[in-house]
Amino acid sequence: MITSISILVDEATYDITPDGMKLRAMDPSRVAMVDFEWPKTVFDEYACDAPTKMCLNITELLKLLKRAGKDEAVELSLDEKTGRLQVTISGKYTRTFNMPTLEAAEEEVPTPKLAFNAKIKATTQGLREAIEDAALVSDHVRIEVDPEKLVLHATGDLMGANIELKKGSDALLDLEVKETVKATFSLSYLNEIIKTAAATSDIATLEFSTDMPIKLDFQQPKEGKLTFYLAPRIEVE
Amino acid sequence: MTEFIALAELCEKLETTKKRLAMIEYASDFLQKLNPDEVEPAVSMLLGRAFPKWDQRVLEVSWATLSGILGRLTDADWSVFREAFNKTGDVGAAAKALFESSRIKKQATLFGEKPLTVLKVRKTFEAIAETSGHGSRERKERLLETLLGAAKPLEAKYIVKILIGEMRTGFHEGLMEVTVSKTFNLPLRLVQHATMLTGDIGEVAAIAKTRGEEGIKRLGFRLFKPVKPMLAQTAKDAKEALEELGGEAAFEYKLDGARIQVHKSGSVVKVFSRRLTDVTDSLPEIVEQVQNEVRAKDAILEGEVIAVGEDGNPMLFQHLMRRFRRVHEIEEMTKEVPVRLYLFDVLYVDGENLVSLPYTERRKKLAEIAPCIPLTKQIVTKDVEVAARFLETAMSEGHEGLVAKKLDSPYTPGVRGKRWFKIKPVLEPLDLVIVAAEYGYGRRHGWLSDYYLAAKDEETGKFLVVGKTFKGLTDEEIATMTRRLKGLTLKDERRRVIVAPKIVVEVAYNEIQKSPKYECGMALRFARITRIRDDKTPEEADTIKKVREIYQKQFEKKANY
Repeated sequence: MITSISILVDEATYDITPDGMKLRAMDPSRVAMVDFEWPKTVFDEYACDAPTKMCLNITELLKLLKRAGKDEAVELSLDEKTGRLQVTISGKYTRTFNMPTLEAAEEEVPTPKLAFNAKIKATTQGLREAIEDAALVSDHVRIEVDPEKLVLHATGDLMGANIELKKGSDALLDLEVKETVKATFSLSYLNEIIKTAAATSDIATLEFSTDMPIKLDFQQPKEGKLTFYLAPRIEVE
Repeated sequence: MTEFIALAELCEKLETTKKRLAMIEYASDFLQKLNPDEVEPAVSMLLGRAFPKWDQRVLEVSWATLSGILGRLTDADWSVFREAFNKTGDVGAAAKALFESSRIKKQATLFGEKPLTVLKVRKTFEAIAETSGHGSRERKERLLETLLGAAKPLEAKYIVKILIGEMRTGFHEGLMEVTVSKTFNLPLRLVQHATMLTGDIGEVAAIAKTRGEEGIKRLGFRLFKPVKPMLAQTAKDAKEALEELGGEAAFEYKLDGARIQVHKSGSVVKVFSRRLTDVTDSLPEIVEQVQNEVRAKDAILEGEVIAVGEDGNPMLFQHLMRRFRRVHEIEEMTKEVPVRLYLFDVLYVDGENLVSLPYTERRKKLAEIAPCIPLTKQIVTKDVEVAARFLETAMSEGHEGLVAKKLDSPYTPGVRGKRWFKIKPVLEPLDLVIVAAEYGYGRRHGWLSDYYLAAKDEETGKFLVVGKTFKGLTDEEIATMTRRLKGLTLKDERRRVIVAPKIVVEVAYNEIQKSPKYECGMALRFARITRIRDDKTPEEADTIKKVREIYQKQFEKKANY
């Protein structure tokens, strides 16, 4: 989860309320954004008395979290007096790290207002493989959706690839199409987003319109939410 | 909000005009219209910098990265790029041609496109400089791609020029100072002084815009913002120096080291190179020495660090350079190449600006606050003989020569005036043969102006390259040389031609270094052509054996390494 956020930003501000934690962040190029929510039900234990914001260096946090083994418990606690976050990992043995919090950015990231003409539901596994196929030959991919199938076209300097996911196949679970849509995306973003999100989710819902940003929603356990928006690559006459 | 295209259009105008006054007027009109927070970024960019001069942040964008992005954004017909480059010698102009020749395939952003502004471009530069850690290369590329994707062809030209640090509009810092003085109605001297104090004309312009003349007048030295060093002209010998300086002068050893500027505030010490780069981390022992030995809370000092051999004699310059910019294994390096600090000037002590004090007073002050750090050896004399003997002693101890300083001279940062003279006997010149040449850049792009200099290896009969230079010839001589070399071409490698070894030139240089760059294992440092020796045939030119002899002779006075 934190890995998916770290591919877009170095620092991010968490909104922490008695009901859970939220984060919305846009990458510095303003090409992609992540919208993430973890309600308190996701946690084994969750305590928050008053709403607060916590800005962290995600890269550093990730380094600490990676130290936790599979069956180990992680406890995060924010000391508002010192402004430091304590990260306790317990399992085989107990270690407690602490790291500074940063000044929260003022800028609120809005939700893009988009109308979509196609919606597909797929396994993250299937998507991940399809995107990896495309990444072999190029650094961008054109995605086309029609009422029957999802097609990925990638054209590189030397090689090309054509990947088809048919309606009703193992990878493509559902397809709702108002009209055929086409859009091209940078694989540098798309590959990273899908790769990291696939670690947290089995099923993704993708929504498209022609030459418009794509919305990628990765189904999370309980009421969690992990959604990305990614702007397309376009050709200017 | 000032759009970036306005800045690009101004640059284009500056590039095509040759008249100073017109250039100043165009730039002044532009500065007038800027918002206060745009002044410093715009001034920096007009001078081809992403950030102010004292700022240590760097973009570090390689050509491989940049060309990859240009390729992704355009259809990348590189023949268009090459043709434009060969015509102009300018990467920015070539990028523009590439943009104009193809449809741009660009990355859109989530919340729509607005025209690029000066501040937006600066913000992107900041984000690029700040990327670090896992995936930073990819993020840097995305930032660049989004920036260039939003750029019009003309904007792309100047963004590329700033990225690679080659503005070449002919609008240099001196003209910017005049422009700022004119735009904000300030005496030029005041602007120059303020630039020296802050280390950056952009910041001066910004202060002038917001706080006017009063604000500029109130500027003082700022610790940890290095100022440009005062420079010296060259004198032939002690006699000429004495004549220029009014009959009496101070003579100091000119050490063959690296000039540094040391800033101290309490226990915090930073060391800056001559080019104002922070080299603190490479010189821990100097930091410690200044912390312990300087008897002032705040100070800005100037001195020279030299590398010394086990016998205490100075080592060749190139060994010292191994210490600079070193980030790893500093500790081992400290042992391997020990350095020593010699101070020679002081600009600021505890709130007091000393630059306008006479040289002799500053030197006295320096001895007071740093009694335990050696100062460069110095004498004051009217006697040519005494000065000449002092020069000989300096040379025999392995130093470069002397610097003669006018006794009542103030410290004038960044100025190469007639108050300091360096006296530096050169090693005997070599007659070398031109074996290849490269086309120059910018103004010289159509001329073969960069020459490979070779000496004959008598054992094999082959000409071996010992150095390369683009210095010493006038434009006219370069034009003639280009014609002659074209007639001698053996092989055309597009930007470089290999020529038959026919033309002999006399070459001066400062040192012969050990170097893996050339087959012979040696390289001339600061080579420059002093004469074209059409009276000599290649057979009469100097040989590798001769070069090696001079190389060896350097060690008689310097510690061998």
